[in-house]
Amino acid sequence: MPLVAAFALPHTPQLLVRPPTEDRELVLRVHAAYAEVKRRLAAARPDVVGVIAGDHIEGFFLNAVPALAVFVGARAAGEFGRYRYAFDVHEPLARAVVEQGIEAGFDLTYSQDVALDYAFYVPLHFTMPEPRLPIVPLYVNVYLPPQPAPRRCHAWGQALRRILDARPERVALIASGGLSHFPGTDRYGSPDYDFDRALLASLAEGRGVDTARLTGEELDKAGNVELRTWITLLGAVGGARAEVLCYEPSWHHGNAVVAWPV
Amino acid sequence: MSAVESHYFFPPASAYALNRFLFALKSDTAVRDRYVAQPEATMREHGLDDEARAALVAADRDRLVALGAHPYLVFMAQVRLTMSREPGSFEYF
Repeated sequence: MPLVAAFALPHTPQLLVRPPTEDRELVLRVHAAYAEVKRRLAAARPDVVGVIAGDHIEGFFLNAVPALAVFVGARAAGEFGRYRYAFDVHEPLARAVVEQGIEAGFDLTYSQDVALDYAFYVPLHFTMPEPRLPIVPLYVNVYLPPQPAPRRCHAWGQALRRILDARPERVALIASGGLSHFPGTDRYGSPDYDFDRALLASLAEGRGVDTARLTGEELDKAGNVELRTWITLLGAVGGARAEVLCYEPSWHHGNAVVAWPV
Repeated sequence: MSAVESHYFFPPASAYALNRFLFALKSDTAVRDRYVAQPEATMREHGLDDEARAALVAADRDRLVALGAHPYLVFMAQVRLTMSREPGSFEYF
């Protein structure tokens, strides 16, 4: 079954739990874009949502730092403030991704026991259709160097697409992350929004493959370490032209919501 | 790419106890609550040395990062502490 939908979404927790430092109107505009994604996701009638996200040192700490991983447990659960989340995991698909991914040469880590990170559940909080769908959490290491090279992320996305295309399920993919932001650093208040705008223009022309040539150093300099999740998705969507549903740069974060026709 | 040039750098082994504690502040409600009530005792229980304890109590990000703390852990530990201390100032969607 082919891929039935593909999106890239922000997950910054200020969109879920807003501190007084955040512009409420901007937050609501991003929520409106999330609502459009939720509508499109429901219309695509997927059986399962694969979420490609970077762990914020939540499920995986320095005891083990997987470059690429898949959650293959029964339920994926996490918490943030007053919120508690638990999602059913589509075990047959998750297991097929691990087995066939390894067979294809990607030495994936898998886990049946990690806390779900907000990079997964913030986008799902706003976009999960009713009735809720099972998910497959797909991890790409973005915050603990050395991270996987962009070209490797892109190649993994291509391999993932081949695996999905041979499966019976209708699959939607969401890449969670970005765009430019520098949490915890002296650049927090000055993201690289020029990088973001050039990137979005390039994606709108269907040139997603160009991201495979970015270096890890370039991503770090641009506050876009999380772009690895998008690059993985771009491997899966190929030359499709992106539709930018919103780009809302805040005082510290480039919030982009993007859809691809598949 | 050297550690001093990248925003997110390889976490030095010398900073393990500090990063482990920041991870607990961020992700473990019991540890966070205990730290809010008794910061000095909690940091000592987790093996933080004098420099790390002083930097953390002062919320001195630059100093913590210079000691090898992961910048993201410093950031989110602070966010979660603020959410615990000032719950009324956050809007839940």
